[in-house]
Amino acid sequence: MYDKDTSMLERIFSMFQTVQNEEHGSVLLVFIIGMIFGSIIQYTKVHKFEKIAGFAMLKDTVVPKMLFLAIGLASIGLFFMIQFGWASYHVKPILLGGLIIGGIIFGASMAIFGKCPGTGPISVAEGRVDIMVGAIGGILGGLVFTLFYDQFKMIMGSSLGNLTLSGYFQDSQGITVLIFGLALIAISFAIPLLEEIDEDDIGYRE
Amino acid sequence: MIKKIPWWVGGVLMALLLLFTFSIFGANRPIGASTYVPYFAGILFDLDPQKYTYLKEIHNAGSWEGVMLLGVFFGTFINALFITKTFRFTVIPAAWKKYKNNSVASRLIWSFIGGFFLIIGARLAGGCTSGHFLSGMTQTAFSSMIFGGVVMVTLVITGKLFYKEREDV
Repeated sequence: MYDKDTSMLERIFSMFQTVQNEEHGSVLLVFIIGMIFGSIIQYTKVHKFEKIAGFAMLKDTVVPKMLFLAIGLASIGLFFMIQFGWASYHVKPILLGGLIIGGIIFGASMAIFGKCPGTGPISVAEGRVDIMVGAIGGILGGLVFTLFYDQFKMIMGSSLGNLTLSGYFQDSQGITVLIFGLALIAISFAIPLLEEIDEDDIGYRE
Repeated sequence: MIKKIPWWVGGVLMALLLLFTFSIFGANRPIGASTYVPYFAGILFDLDPQKYTYLKEIHNAGSWEGVMLLGVFFGTFINALFITKTFRFTVIPAAWKKYKNNSVASRLIWSFIGGFFLIIGARLAGGCTSGHFLSGMTQTAFSSMIFGGVVMVTLVITGKLFYKEREDV
């Protein structure tokens, strides 16, 4: 697929071509999904350092409130869509070592960096220099992970299966998902609303 | 022009976007946003996908997320310039000044370290806030619940240990 002299431009072109040839939406559609995804985050401000590091300090609760509401609603919706044959499950495997050690590293980094991989690019797009430096760190992290994948794989462990809560209660899948979803929605409204505000943020003030 | 939406509107819209993306009318796949990082690293450092197992494994997912993240970047850049007017160059976040320090060097070094390990952690776990939290828990996946629980606890413990109310500001 690639010869030694493949230029960066050709590889970027190949990225678009790969998406176009796959059955996961056209390049334009995927691009638009990204635009909407980014805009929802940007307009709710959950990409801000004040929101993510603020949640770590328990001074801002917009991130968990929005996350739990989105998951609660989407889990119920997805269940029905799968019943109608409009969607299917794409469940990640249980690799205990990777999930626990990765989760600890991810959680600690998220508290200090104040971003996650999806929200970082939005802050870069808004001119945050510290996040641009962090993005360079991230790219190097991706490089190290690629180069030492065999070693990292040993930490990740072997898969205990792609299990789901709804699959565990197979006889009462619908009610299980409904309880799960409603519980998350209830939690999202029960968490008290705390806000840590970036006063320099013009968009916020107005 | 609207410059801000409440969290619950964002939650409803995010749920709708997740469902559309999952559906056969959309992309028939979950949203993820961390595989693109090693994918872009492979392009930037000119690593041959035939030689690196990981790049081979993430070729399709990395491409999809790569295009999606270009959309994220382009869309939010346009918003920041013309609608939310949030574009401005800054180095230290307001809350960092309030709860950590006023040092540019400190913020940049911690950002670099944070960015580096954020991606190591996400790739070890096989997902991030998007792939595990949003998309994974929507499918009631146990893997995502384990990740979500560990991340929330570690996030809050780190926040408690790393930051404190500064008395000198």
